[in-house]
Amino acid sequence: MFLSSVNGNRGAVLGALAPAGMAATVLYVLFIGLPILALLVRAGQEEGFLAGLTGPLVLQALRLTVVTSVISLVIVVVVGTPFALLLARQGPTSRLLRVIDTFVELPIVLPPVVAGVAMLMAFGRNGMLGPALASVGVTIPFTTVAVIFAQIFVAAPFYIRAARIGFAGVDPAYEEVSQTLGVSPWQTFWRLTLPMARPSLLTGATLAWARAVSEFGATIMFAGNLTGRTQTMPLAIMTTMESSLGAALALAALMLVMSALSLALLSFLLRCRAEASR
Amino acid sequence: MNDAAVKGQFSVRVGGFSVELAFAVDAGRVLVLFGPSGAGKTTALRTIAGLARPESGRIDIAGRTVFADNDGEPPCWEPPHRRGVGYVTQQNHLFPHLTVAENIAYGLPDRRGDSAHRRVSHLIDRLQLAGLEDRRVSQLSGGQQQRTALARALAPSPDLLLLDEPFSSLDMELRRSLGAELRAAIRELNVPVIMVTHSREEALALGDAVQIIDAGRVVAEGPPLHVLEQPGQGRVARLVGVENLLRMQVAARLPQDGTMVCQAGERALETPLADGCAVGDAVTVGIRASDIILAAGPLPQSSARNTWAGVVSAVELRPPGYEVALDCAGTVLRCHITGASLDAMGIAPGQPLWAIFKASSCFLLTE
Repeated sequence: MFLSSVNGNRGAVLGALAPAGMAATVLYVLFIGLPILALLVRAGQEEGFLAGLTGPLVLQALRLTVVTSVISLVIVVVVGTPFALLLARQGPTSRLLRVIDTFVELPIVLPPVVAGVAMLMAFGRNGMLGPALASVGVTIPFTTVAVIFAQIFVAAPFYIRAARIGFAGVDPAYEEVSQTLGVSPWQTFWRLTLPMARPSLLTGATLAWARAVSEFGATIMFAGNLTGRTQTMPLAIMTTMESSLGAALALAALMLVMSALSLALLSFLLRCRAEASR
Repeated sequence: MNDAAVKGQFSVRVGGFSVELAFAVDAGRVLVLFGPSGAGKTTALRTIAGLARPESGRIDIAGRTVFADNDGEPPCWEPPHRRGVGYVTQQNHLFPHLTVAENIAYGLPDRRGDSAHRRVSHLIDRLQLAGLEDRRVSQLSGGQQQRTALARALAPSPDLLLLDEPFSSLDMELRRSLGAELRAAIRELNVPVIMVTHSREEALALGDAVQIIDAGRVVAEGPPLHVLEQPGQGRVARLVGVENLLRMQVAARLPQDGTMVCQAGERALETPLADGCAVGDAVTVGIRASDIILAAGPLPQSSARNTWAGVVSAVELRPPGYEVALDCAGTVLRCHITGASLDAMGIAPGQPLWAIFKASSCFLLTE
């Protein structure tokens, strides 16, 4: 989509700057591509790679990462969607919502380690809510639940931000027309608002999921590094780099494939939609 | 008025601007709300549809009260989706993620069932959309989009149809053909219609009754021909765009002919006799540009009481024809003629011509 629009309007500016653009493109592709290539090549050469790939440590980390990141994504979407709708529709009229809107993206710029410390201070044994939670028999830090907490904390803004933009792009006049056609506000949301905002929602969900999968700093602070319970793939890479390079490379290659696949899936879903609405 | 399909009177306030309206429309009839932009016409439609909430009043649609302030009692309020009001907005607002057929079926209760399918097919035939069922709305022309929006609004068989400037985005020819189609569809479906427009031609072509709205108030109402062609008030005449408004003085009353003579400088004309006008009174005389005949010379014998000599000062394109400005000793008359007449007579600036018009084409305006 982007490329075709560039092809369609090769302006005078691009013409003059084309050599610089080419040089920059080559440099950038090399800079990103070389390490990725090196990772794959080295993984292929490493003796322990296959053993690592099928070893219990890698499989446990993979399973934990997939389960926690999917649960996190579901919670982010369920809570984030109505929140984003409210921000998009009421934001301009409510001062409180405008303030919330400004700070909703704070976790994106906040160092994840700080998020981890902050959650310890809130939910930790000696944290603000720790004693209360302990009294009802609930412990959050250093459990799988803590992994999910950490992922939601850092990933939610990516979805909320995209969903807010998507909903803001749906002119409320469409929703009004829908209601005059006898469709209730709730049904209007499902049949009109949601489908019209779908590309933004898909993009946001993909970014949020990718961020949850790659979460490291907040997790290691708040959930620790316990094999099978809180050791997700990024933590497992960190741990195995010292003991078994083959396992580390296997995990890294797996994560690379997962990232590439999620981008490809997103692009496919967006293209399906673009073609359908052409 | 009491058994009208739709009736109401309400006062609504939107952003410090208030609109008051009282209306009644029978099934199969079209009420036109006519006025300049910003007069409050769209606000009135939105209020009837339930998209804006009035401060006071009452609205009844097909025997159901959808809004009533009830004088301190709990007010009655039906939300838009329970009013049964079809609303075609000025920009149509067709749903971009759906096809033409899906747009039309959108408001049907069982939209994938057989009866919905039949209803959609019927409307597609009726509004000449055959072959476009599976198109995305972005692939449609302006007229096709307009017809799709109309079909979508009509599909759930509304008790009232609201049209906001339905032809504003269309070219002249399309307006005419679509206007005729709309007229036929309204008669066939026997649905009451309230239509907003600022085009006199649309109001005349489609309206059974017209209300002239200015600054949120109804300033005139009645049959379109009467209200739009011979308005009684100077303010209304300016709103509906009467081309010639002449400030004159009553020079003589001729009760035996049913006319009177009005004068401005050395120009005089005959108008219908008006009660309460005495010789010497100042009056404003309105003449529609389309009621004036242009001729190369005075007609030897004719029933027209008024013949003015003048010189063409300007010719302007004014679709579908031309507007000729004729300077008659300082008083400029604007006359509308067709392109064929312009060519046949070879009218050009500087040419001497005669303006001929009947006394009954002149109407007196009160300020």
